[in-house]
Amino acid sequence: MHGGTTHFPIALVMASVVFDLAALVVPESVDKSRRSNLRAAGFYSLSLGALSTFAAVISGLVLSHGELWGRGNLARHHAFLWPGFGLVIALAVWRLAVGNRASSRAFKMYLGVSVLTGAIMGAAGYWGGELLLNG
Amino acid sequence: MQSELKAAFVGVTASVLVLALTFGFAAFLRSSPAAEANRNLVSSTRSAASILTLSSQAQQGRNLFERNCAHCHGEDARGDEGPTLHHLALSDARIARRIKEGVKGEMPRFGSKLDDAHIAELIAYLRTLRD
Repeated sequence: MHGGTTHFPIALVMASVVFDLAALVVPESVDKSRRSNLRAAGFYSLSLGALSTFAAVISGLVLSHGELWGRGNLARHHAFLWPGFGLVIALAVWRLAVGNRASSRAFKMYLGVSVLTGAIMGAAGYWGGELLLNG
Repeated sequence: MQSELKAAFVGVTASVLVLALTFGFAAFLRSSPAAEANRNLVSSTRSAASILTLSSQAQQGRNLFERNCAHCHGEDARGDEGPTLHHLALSDARIARRIKEGVKGEMPRFGSKLDDAHIAELIAYLRTLRD
């Protein structure tokens, strides 16, 4: 179950980053609704990604009998996982609280943190794969 | 900007709370009767093994086992996600091949990670598991 549930938060958080970056790049003069649609897609992707982390984390803890750190590749997996999990929750709550009221500066800072979060989630997924394939 | 800062504070607080709950859940899982029984078995197996005084090769094998195999086969090698490794009926050559090539859909291959000497050490350790 853990192998299946983990891919949702990773993919959704990364998709959220892509949508938000696209919203930043799309010129407003071209299509006013496109930017807000992309931001909405980013918001919903992040929200779903944050919700899906719970299934991934709980199934992982059950699989490891409550092991929070471990050794070798498991330790590397956890080293990225716990900060990534914390960041996703923080980002999702921030986005929910701020809504569409975020200033351009605040949104760019948020974007910076979400790119970092996406990278951390990817690293957690990479070491999870290493654990599965190479032990 | 003030509302955004407040929202950031709320976000960080929520994150800390969720992490604390998660770690609490992990502690609960670790203290469950099944996990407790697994740990008691591991410690009794280890003390029995130390009484037997493993050869240096088997000792190296045990270190390798703990780093590479324990999270699937259990700390005591009595099985978890993977099967028990006590009283293995397979020949050394078969075991070596399984470790190198894995079992499709069930066990990853370690051929690129463990050389022949390491595999021999692992097998030496596995052969001590007879209780």
